[in-house]
Amino acid sequence: MRSLLLAVLAAYLIAAIHSILAFVNKRRSLQRVAEWSTAAGFILHTCALAADWVIDGHYPLFSLREALSFLAWALVALYSLVLYRYRTHAVGAFTMPLVSVLTLVALLFGTNSSNAPAAFSATWLFPLHTTLLIFAYAAFFIVFMASVMYLLQERELKLKTFGATFHRLPSLTTVNDIATSSAALGLTLLTLGIATGVIWSSTRFGRFWRNDPKEIFALLTWGLYFCLTIYRLTPHWRGRSAAWLGVVGFALVLLTFLGTRFLGSYHVFG
Amino acid sequence: MSIFLVGVNHKTAPVEIRERLAFNDEACASGLRQLVDGEIVREGLIVSTCNRVEILGATSNDQLEFGAGRIAQFLDTSGSLPAGFLNAHLYRHTNEEAVRHLFRVASSLDSMVVGEPQVLGQVRHAYALGVEAGTVGKVLSRLVHHTFRVAKRVRNETGIAANAVSISYMAVELGKKIFNSLKGSSVLLIGAGEMAELSARHLVNAGAARVTIANRTEETARQIANEFGAATVGLDQIDQVLHEADVIICSTGAPDYVVTEARTRKALARRRNRPTCFIDISVPRNIDPAVSNIPNVFLFDIDDLESVISSNIREREREAERAELIVQSEVMQFQQKLRLMDIGPSIGAMKQNMQDVARAEMAKQRKRLGVLTKEQEEAIESLLMSTVNKISHPLISQMRRFYESNETDSED
Repeated sequence: MRSLLLAVLAAYLIAAIHSILAFVNKRRSLQRVAEWSTAAGFILHTCALAADWVIDGHYPLFSLREALSFLAWALVALYSLVLYRYRTHAVGAFTMPLVSVLTLVALLFGTNSSNAPAAFSATWLFPLHTTLLIFAYAAFFIVFMASVMYLLQERELKLKTFGATFHRLPSLTTVNDIATSSAALGLTLLTLGIATGVIWSSTRFGRFWRNDPKEIFALLTWGLYFCLTIYRLTPHWRGRSAAWLGVVGFALVLLTFLGTRFLGSYHVFG
Repeated sequence: MSIFLVGVNHKTAPVEIRERLAFNDEACASGLRQLVDGEIVREGLIVSTCNRVEILGATSNDQLEFGAGRIAQFLDTSGSLPAGFLNAHLYRHTNEEAVRHLFRVASSLDSMVVGEPQVLGQVRHAYALGVEAGTVGKVLSRLVHHTFRVAKRVRNETGIAANAVSISYMAVELGKKIFNSLKGSSVLLIGAGEMAELSARHLVNAGAARVTIANRTEETARQIANEFGAATVGLDQIDQVLHEADVIICSTGAPDYVVTEARTRKALARRRNRPTCFIDISVPRNIDPAVSNIPNVFLFDIDDLESVISSNIREREREAERAELIVQSEVMQFQQKLRLMDIGPSIGAMKQNMQDVARAEMAKQRKRLGVLTKEQEEAIESLLMSTVNKISHPLISQMRRFYESNETDSED
């Protein structure tokens, strides 16, 4: 399905370039191109994932290559949700380049995916576990991005130096809302993802906790986003401090997703 | 047909001259009727605003020189100025230059504040007056409609009017930047000056739901309050309303701080830290600058507003460069349209010419045919004409098609 993924990459690249140009030039016509090519890329990507599933005979989320491709797909899905709900095109200028890079890296890894042990695909619990977590990571990226936008603008408003980003980013309230709802969504997904992982582990190995680095980091991440979500959901406006938490939290997410590979976790891909 | 434009604007003539030339609606109509004689000036239009008086005219190509001269003369007399007095202030544009000038004026590229929205309405009004006076014909009507399209394009495709360039409008822009939308927001005016009132009006137009006015004398406050359906409080009761306000505009004449840091901290705690936008347009300042240290409070004093405005003006000027490119391409499109507009008469003339040639050839050979019956004469005539028509028909329809395709290209 390499050629299909190439087409996906092309669509995402067009979307990324047009999103960035639209962000810089504030041009609506460019934005429309970006939206259509995002939609085209997403549909093709969905087809590619489905085709992978059918051809390889296992859920297309096991190796690192598959995880990256799936993450790109999840990011596009969440970005579309944000776009639909908040009409903030600026988000695309930051999401689509990342999506393109993830897709490119997935392509570079080649197609020789080692077949997953039958045990992993035998039950629906494991695919559910990984899917939930990938979507949680994508949601946390949205939190991160909205938080950075918040901090940038808050700083500009406080210092009264309105730079180039000022007229291009969505309002403080909007980015705050995006961060709050994405954090709540991410936390829900992460909770369910960890829960399904624990259940799967205990049915397969008879142990629900193995002191694995990834498990520990995941728990830390969960704790941080739990605090963040509780913090944000109180009736008080949190703004700046919550935004910083969103940035720090994402560093922890990256560590959980990629970093633990180097800490000898059994949670390796492929 | 040729188009020409003669006029003065804020760059070429001081207000003393502009005011003498200005036309009100009646003067405009009578002036147009006097000016447009169907001979030298075929069509006319007067755009008269506080910054410009411009007369746009259309004439046949060979009368162009006379037309422009006549309008200059007309301006002299209507302003009761000595002949030639205006020469130093007038600009005269013909054809392409005139079209470009009108496009730039309507797109607000020629305005004192680039991107101001009023001028398009003024051009629209001038057009309506011209139509009423019956002095706008095919050429100017095409031109003006094209002008509206250009202005719309410039507005939609560039950010020429995007950022606030007046202090009173800054409140709306900053409010939107913080709250996204001002719908349902509440505004507190501390001090009821003219500027505060103007800002409040902009905020209400942008959707602000509640206005509260705190003033030293409640009398003045109530006068303004009636306009917005606002509540009024005394200056000593600010603490009771400060926490409700999303946008606060302060413009009292008080010599010291009316809004202090302690007061604001208390209010912010009561409103659960929701962001608040303070705008202090009073000199000396009435809001303690230390208020700015409180999280989620955004304070702007008059200097901050001025500096944002000047950066917004620079931004508009950058956008204006892009607008000039749009104008340039539209001028070229319109020129082409104008050239093609003459196709109707040309087709008639061409047909006539061909028929004349056929008849002349026939007349030359007529003698050789001898005496013919009336029916035979008629048959020859119809043979000639149908031959001419059948030969010219594909040519003419080709020309029409070409013309129409250009027409639709530039219409959408």
